[in-house]
Formats: sequence, C-alpha cells, structure tokens
Amino acid sequence: MGKQTTEMLKGTLEGIVLALLTGNPAYGYEITTLLRAQGFTEIAEGTVYALLVRIEQKGLVDVEKVPSEKGPPRKVYTLNAQGEKELDEFWNTWSFLSERLEQLRKGGN
Amino acid sequence: MAAKWIELVTGSLEQKKQYKQSKARLDALPEPYLSVANAFNRYFMYYGGVTEGETIVQMHSDLADLWERAAIDGTPVSEIVGEDPIEFAESFAQAYGGTRWIDKERARLNEAVDKAKAKEAGQ
Repeated sequence: MGKQTTEMLKGTLEGIVLALLTGNPAYGYEITTLLRAQGFTEIAEGTVYALLVRIEQKGLVDVEKVPSEKGPPRKVYTLNAQGEKELDEFWNTWSFLSERLEQLRKGGN
Repeated sequence: MAAKWIELVTGSLEQKKQYKQSKARLDALPEPYLSVANAFNRYFMYYGGVTEGETIVQMHSDLADLWERAAIDGTPVSEIVGEDPIEFAESFAQAYGGTRWIDKERARLNEAVDKAKAKEAGQ
C-alpha cells in the first residue's frame, strides 16, 4: 500500500468500518477479513483493533463478549444509534469531499 | 471501612487487582508475542502519558486480549502491527481518551489564545 493511500485511509477507515458493521455485527478478525475482501488488502489487524477500541470508547458501538473455545472471549461489535448518526455524518462529509475533488480534477471550481 | 481508607491513600484496590491480572496475562505470553507486548508497553509509558488509573487498567486488559488472541490463533506479529509499529502504537494509545499530562498545557494554551482574542476584539 502506498504512503498516500495509507494517509488517505487514515481519515476514512472509521467510516468504512461503521459502514461494514451496518446490520452486520462482527468481531475484530471478521472485520479485518471483510476489509480485505473489499480490496483493502494490506490493512493490519492491529490497525483495525485500535480503531475498534476507539469507536468503543466513543460509544458508537455496543460490545458483547462471546466466549471462544480457547483464549479470551471475542468482542462482537454492533453499530448502535449513535454509531448510525456518526455514519450518516461520514457519508455527508464524504459526498461533499468527493464532489469537490471531482470538480478540481475537471479543472472547474 | 478499612479498605476505603486504604484506597484513599493508595488508589483503587480493585484497579490494582485488575492491573496485576492483565500484567500476569501479558507475562504469560509465548514468544515472540511476549517481547513485542513488552516493547509496546514500554513505548506506551513514554508516549501515552495517560494519568487516569481506570484508563491504564482498561488499556492493559485490551492489550492482553489482543496479544493472547494473536498467540492462540498464531497470527504473525507483522499482521497485527502492520508496516509501521509506531503508527499502530500511537493510534492505539490515542483511542483512550483519558486525562493526559498534556491536557493541562492544552488548557493553558487555549486560555492564552482566548485572552489574546479578547484583547483583539476590545481594540
């Protein structure tokens, strides 16, 4: 992944993960797998983990601890009402940004 | 009653217990997870600057979860940490919104700017 891609992803990954969680509760590793399936192939699990910690601390997801056969219980993340609100805002911001950038590319302003 | 009094002096006993538990979990990790978990903990001490016991306890227990899981699933360290360990460490630490030593200085800076703006507006 190029440095530019990494930098740009930084600002959008949270929105991407919230979007992936819509109607689809998942645990950390599942989310990493989903991201990779979406073409974000080089995302480290730790990056996703840190992000999940952040959205949990911000109260955007509900967390349920599900026992696993071995090791610590897995945390399953579900988007809550506050997370949905945040996701709406993210899409609005995204539309604005992509529209403006497309304008710039076309040379207009 | 006695416990309450002691906690006033030493901080929360419950927190200490939880901290010790996650410390023990981290110490029990197999290599190479043990080395890498220790390296991150050392970095967090310098970088994190988190001053709230509760936040530190939470962060440690989350770290134990992360590395235990990796050790059990046999996930390579490189897949957890990615290409830039510093980036990972700092975004992890920043996820914890507890009080930091820098907060006092942030408040001071904001206050200084507010005063300057007020002066500006007054002229």
